[in-house]
Amino acid sequence: MKKVIFLIALVAFSACKNDNKKTGTSSDGEENVVNVYTHRHYAADQVLFKQFEETTRIKVNVINASADELIQKMSIEGAQSPADVLITVDAGRLTRAKDQNLLQPIESDILNRIIAPHLKDPENYWFGLTKRARIIAYAKNRVDSSDLSTYEDLASDKWKGRILIRSSENIYNQSLLASLIVNNGEDEARKWTESIVENMARSPKGNDRDQVKAVVGGEGDIAIVNTYYIGNMLNSENPEEVKAAEAVGIFFPNQNGRGAHINVSGAGVARYAPNKENAIKFIEFLISKQAQEVFANSNYEYPVNPIVKPAPLLQQWGEFKEDSLTLSKLGEFNKKAVLIFDEAGWK
Amino acid sequence: MKQAGSKNIFSFKYRLQRLKRDSNKWAILTLLILFLIVLPIVSIGVKLFSGPGETWSHIVDNLLLDYIGNSLFLIFACGAIVLLFGVSTAWLVARFEFPLRKQMEWLLILPLAIPGYIVAYAYAGIFDYGGTLQLILKAAGLPFVRFDIMNKSGLAFVLGISLFPYVYVSSRAFFLNQANNLMEASEMLGVGPVKTFFKLMLPMARPAIIAGLILVLMEVLNDYGAAKYFGVNTFTTGIFRSWFSLEEPETAVYLSALLIVIVFSLILLEKFQRRKLRFNSNRDNNMRLNRKQLSSKMQFVILLVVLLPVLLGFLLPVAQLIYWATLTYENVFNLYFLTISVQSFGIALLTAFVSVIIAVILIFFSKWSRLGFIKNIAKLGILGYAIPGAVVAIGIMIPTIFIDRWLIDIMDYLFNVDMGLILTGTLVALIYAYVVRFLAVAYNPIESTALKVSNAIPDSSNMLGVGNLRTFFKIEFPLIRTGIASAFILVFVDVLKELPLTLILKPFHVNTLAVKAYEYASDEMVMEAAIPSLFIIVTVMLPVIFLNRLLIK
Repeated sequence: MKKVIFLIALVAFSACKNDNKKTGTSSDGEENVVNVYTHRHYAADQVLFKQFEETTRIKVNVINASADELIQKMSIEGAQSPADVLITVDAGRLTRAKDQNLLQPIESDILNRIIAPHLKDPENYWFGLTKRARIIAYAKNRVDSSDLSTYEDLASDKWKGRILIRSSENIYNQSLLASLIVNNGEDEARKWTESIVENMARSPKGNDRDQVKAVVGGEGDIAIVNTYYIGNMLNSENPEEVKAAEAVGIFFPNQNGRGAHINVSGAGVARYAPNKENAIKFIEFLISKQAQEVFANSNYEYPVNPIVKPAPLLQQWGEFKEDSLTLSKLGEFNKKAVLIFDEAGWK
Repeated sequence: MKQAGSKNIFSFKYRLQRLKRDSNKWAILTLLILFLIVLPIVSIGVKLFSGPGETWSHIVDNLLLDYIGNSLFLIFACGAIVLLFGVSTAWLVARFEFPLRKQMEWLLILPLAIPGYIVAYAYAGIFDYGGTLQLILKAAGLPFVRFDIMNKSGLAFVLGISLFPYVYVSSRAFFLNQANNLMEASEMLGVGPVKTFFKLMLPMARPAIIAGLILVLMEVLNDYGAAKYFGVNTFTTGIFRSWFSLEEPETAVYLSALLIVIVFSLILLEKFQRRKLRFNSNRDNNMRLNRKQLSSKMQFVILLVVLLPVLLGFLLPVAQLIYWATLTYENVFNLYFLTISVQSFGIALLTAFVSVIIAVILIFFSKWSRLGFIKNIAKLGILGYAIPGAVVAIGIMIPTIFIDRWLIDIMDYLFNVDMGLILTGTLVALIYAYVVRFLAVAYNPIESTALKVSNAIPDSSNMLGVGNLRTFFKIEFPLIRTGIASAFILVFVDVLKELPLTLILKPFHVNTLAVKAYEYASDEMVMEAAIPSLFIIVTVMLPVIFLNRLLIK
């Protein structure tokens, strides 16, 4: 028993010592670092962080968690927060961070020049990094793509028992409904939500990939999913996922109207960023041609930098018209959207 | 007019005097530790006084019934599953000889090694369209029958099968140490084995079984990942929804409070039921255990019965993970995982050690203190387990940031230096949070073994002039060793797979395997999550096998 205790003490001691040394230097402020709180966990991001470290000699420290938790963390940390940059996978959360006074506006000619106005905060509190569209994946063998038209049309009776979509817990669904509230008004959006619940093939469960698989399995005929999941499935290591993704067609809704609903993954500089200069450099780097190409080709997201082409696969799907709604609106109506989901019984 | 000499025992003054008389150092230390443990929970609970938030009525109207219904369903369904598998396997392993028994002893603990949400993904992967089952059926030329596991019952199954080892570990400890003499007495009196089990062993083992069961139920109520993936609304998904999607921490706190009420009513209900029965049968518990030798046919049947939960809770999900790992091996695997394994291992070990010490302190100090109420409130220390990890994390941050700010101000005032955050974002805060969260896991098994040590031994030791501490190390510690070993294993395993709390509180540079697995899974890269999950399982296996030896010696 004594040996065990000794061993444990040794491990404990070395762990603490190690840690102190590391945090000690990184919180010094003298060393060149940028502390990133991010909701993105893609392998591509790690590649980019490495590249940034190599070209600028600025060390990237990362905390990975969901955006909600990171926002909560930043707000409790307050003025002592070590965070320099907050990265989320949707515009709604960035707007929320801005509203809670956790971000600061930054002046950057590069960012203002490259990023389209609707893809960033009007007051420069945050900037989009990559775009993803929420589209309709349909069973090629059972659905004629000419039957598909708009998000609004999915509420009609012909789709009864045929729609697959995940839970309203998911931020992409919340943003989609928020966009419908802004575009069509609250009452219409409420009616739409109720009809979609009626038209669902099953009670919402699983993730976006599961919806596509269920289309192929015949549980429903169309699924509402994000583009990059289809891209990832087509390039999956699992042959069954590839098969499933190949069996569905991609349809961008509302092409004759306002365009397909898009969302961005984006970044903002923290209000109390101890390394503000580095933070701006970091975000500018992520928008650069070099970085945007990595984003585009590894996770099948659409780049926000217009000189960078999307991955070949996405180019095959063709260009599409995107809803140019200012994305900060999505954050504004997020809570309303959740309330409507609950009242309509969308799990 | 007061008469001299007589005291009104209800007077405040008398009570205060008595309090002063009975407050010994043990009482004060217990209160101090309890204060630290309860502080984060209280700092969240304070929000209760700021009202329920404007969406509370929205929740009550639209969601609450669903939350209560589903959570109760899970309590009963999972409860039934873990009792069935946990108690039966513990009994068979403890009392009967059969082939592979030694291996089964530790294999039965291993379902705990896989994070619940990973088991959920694995099962969904097996029954999926294009899933393993379909592939197997196709290869065998059989038609595919889709079995939908992603619903309420499926969730109860998945959680039950991955959590039953809590009950197995705690009831086995009882059967190993306690049951022998009673068993023999019962059999000598001509009572059959079945009747002995149901009439004698089961009621006797009840405190141990319940200790495990309460852990399971708290864990079930706490699950977020699996419930979310299966689309089942529970209290915990509701807490996350109101905290984050509706942006109302106040509402989330109300839901947490309701959850705590449910958990505590369960504990109280059990206490109330049990109060009539008081077991103190520690005599002869060092008697050599002799397992029954049955016919080889019966031995084979027992092996199958014991194998079933191992198969469902461990071998099947692990097989699915290994299959996924072979598909994604090239993209995911790198040697960095070994570094992360070592880090996770160290953190888990340290936390287990600290938790066990604190649990022992709470249990024994409150026993040594002469204040009655301390014994009752010591139980408050286990509250953290009923609260979702993310909420505990936030609760930890409130006081640690407060202390940090205070220190910063003092240092600034006295020495004019800005030293930044000391506790927040360090290993100290992380381990503090783990201890708050997992103290119940250490407390329950130790308490259930400590209850069986009759007071006569330490009392006589005290009377002979030996102090409490020395008595503890010389007498009680060896007697509750098995409880401590179980506590250690369980906390260790829990920390290794803990997620939401780690995400929020982990320092830069520190990474755990569970975080790594989550990073993939949260991007719907479930297959890629298989390799870090397998690393967790391997990391857990070594200490489980080692400590299991300690347990059954």
